[in-house]
Amino acid sequence: MNQPATQVLGQPIDYIVILGYFVAIVLFGLYFSRYTRNTKDFFFGGQRFAWWLIAFSGIATTVGSYSFVKYSDVGFKYGLSSTQSYLNDWFWMPILLLVWLPIIYYQRVISVPEYFERRFGRPSRVAATCIVMTYLVAYIGVNLFTLGQVLESLLGWPVMAGAAGTAVLVTIYVVAGGQTSVIMTDLAQGIILLVVGLGVLFAGVYHFGGFGDFWALLPESHKYAFSDLTSPPKFSALGIYMQDGVINTGAFVLMNQGMIMRFLSLKSVKEAQKMAVAWILILAPIAAIATGGGGWIGRALVANGELETSSKEAFIRTAHFLCAPGIFGFVLAALTAALMSTADTLINAVSAIFVNDVWKPFFRPDAKDKDLLFVARITTIFAAAVGLAFVVVYIRNYDSIYQAHAMVTASIPAPMVVAVLMGILWKRFTPTACFVTLVGGSVAMGLSFIPGLDDLLIGPLSFGMGPDSYKFMRALYGLIVCGGLGIVTSLVTKPKTAAQLAGLVNGTQLDAMRQYKGGEVNRRPGKKARLRIAVDPDLQDEDPMTPSAVVPQSALDTMAAGPGDLLYACDPRWWFGGLRSVHVKAGDPGEEGICRVSPDALADAHFTDGQEVTVEKIM
Amino acid sequence: MDMARVWPIVLQYGVGAVLCAVGVWCGLRSGFLDLKSADGKRLLAVIIGGFVAMLALVCLFTFWLPFVPRGTAP
Repeated sequence: MNQPATQVLGQPIDYIVILGYFVAIVLFGLYFSRYTRNTKDFFFGGQRFAWWLIAFSGIATTVGSYSFVKYSDVGFKYGLSSTQSYLNDWFWMPILLLVWLPIIYYQRVISVPEYFERRFGRPSRVAATCIVMTYLVAYIGVNLFTLGQVLESLLGWPVMAGAAGTAVLVTIYVVAGGQTSVIMTDLAQGIILLVVGLGVLFAGVYHFGGFGDFWALLPESHKYAFSDLTSPPKFSALGIYMQDGVINTGAFVLMNQGMIMRFLSLKSVKEAQKMAVAWILILAPIAAIATGGGGWIGRALVANGELETSSKEAFIRTAHFLCAPGIFGFVLAALTAALMSTADTLINAVSAIFVNDVWKPFFRPDAKDKDLLFVARITTIFAAAVGLAFVVVYIRNYDSIYQAHAMVTASIPAPMVVAVLMGILWKRFTPTACFVTLVGGSVAMGLSFIPGLDDLLIGPLSFGMGPDSYKFMRALYGLIVCGGLGIVTSLVTKPKTAAQLAGLVNGTQLDAMRQYKGGEVNRRPGKKARLRIAVDPDLQDEDPMTPSAVVPQSALDTMAAGPGDLLYACDPRWWFGGLRSVHVKAGDPGEEGICRVSPDALADAHFTDGQEVTVEKIM
Repeated sequence: MDMARVWPIVLQYGVGAVLCAVGVWCGLRSGFLDLKSADGKRLLAVIIGGFVAMLALVCLFTFWLPFVPRGTAP
């Protein structure tokens, strides 16, 4: 493994393109650092963004640098079934949108471990912090490892050098701009990686003379949506579904702090519903085609006798075959975009967890927000460094990206996914049971890696597929063991009272909404109102989390709102995606046509005095 | 028909239907999903529509497109 390719594929103009891309994306990220004034901005971008912005940036985060290489690899070997991993996310949406997201959004939960403290107590928070941190830095390592491998095969650079170089670039803009820079750069990178991935596919189809000719060159076994249920062991539909569809997607929506922070960056929970539709029903299938398409085209080129390549190099070789010099540079840029857009999210997430779950509760409980922002920026640098340390582990232990990725996604998150799921859905799930699930489940997962024991523990659950399937079927083992531990322990220990669980479990989402608003929730349907902003230095913000605003009675009527309701004022130009906006609490009605806000609210929203805004009721 | 290619659909969409049903049931029981409101009805329609659309897509690539003979593919 890790032998440099005998032939360097790129030409000087390609490297100029990719260098220009690096510079542009870092400058783009640095530009948005002006929108970061506090930790809420650094971690959640001010909780103000529109659905389409988060959907595009979310898909860029989902598509890691391993994705093009990994899915083209399996696309080359197994065909269209490479899309399985991207098409099994929808099933989790009802639980995410109707249970988990309302709870964490309205409880103002900053991190997943923080939820564990509120729901179960301090010991579970500590255990959850350790698991989530390990998951995130291991995931950062997988992404850096992948890009290092790609740059090695293209340029002959050592894996570590390529990984370190990109880690430095990502860290620069994350330190400066936090979540806002992450979201805005991911928007750009999401567009680039989808365009390039689809471009390679369409160029290939055009090369063959049309879809029919391309389709005819693929073997029949490559034309199915799924691989066989239990074969091949390294890519069976059952194994992929357990590892990716159940545990990995469950981890993405329930415990991946990076994705949770992205959801919490939306202006409202309702906006998350639009975002989920755009993300999972539209962009994810496009991403599945974009990442696997290189492998399908590569297979057809090989069948046509035009290309020689291994499956591992299918994407790079195919893109190189189809693209003119310079254009190939954009392919390299897409690969780095996929890396940077995932790594930046994870690095920002590690920083959020360290500040919220380690630094603040254990070292500086009374720290000011300004100090926490400083610590967050320092932690960002350390997160990237620890991710790089994992690259060393992967270099020594794994000869395939798919194996390294499956190891991380199938083994670490199972106890957390089970604990969150049972925690939100089952009021009887006790604090002791949660701790046992997290710690006992992690130990059980660790035991399954010991040679000999894996046959004993996972073998019976492998449906006859043998050791090659263990990396995937370990997810089913984790699900059963962790679920069993949680249920049995719950039945013999004491649960929390209903009052203690208000706003934290299913059935109490409306309680969470009331706590968020600080009063009864107004869900009457209303419309947006257009008003002109006016600064009022005398306006007092009673709640520093939500500044006050004075709007006219006619606007309140249009919005079906009243004094005390939560409103959202936004720059009417849609392409800002909510970048210039602010949540406010409606005060008593004021003069016609004017929305009066305090100077702090004006600065927070990045409005100019006198500009027109749209105002809508949130609740 | 190779049933080894059909069972994954049964597995994935069977378990998926249970997951979706659990989420919707939780939303209804808590009152967070309010089917008396237009928003609630729309959300339920989207959840069901999304499920059906994904199912239709995989069925297309299991029962029809793999068997399209050369020269007649769309």
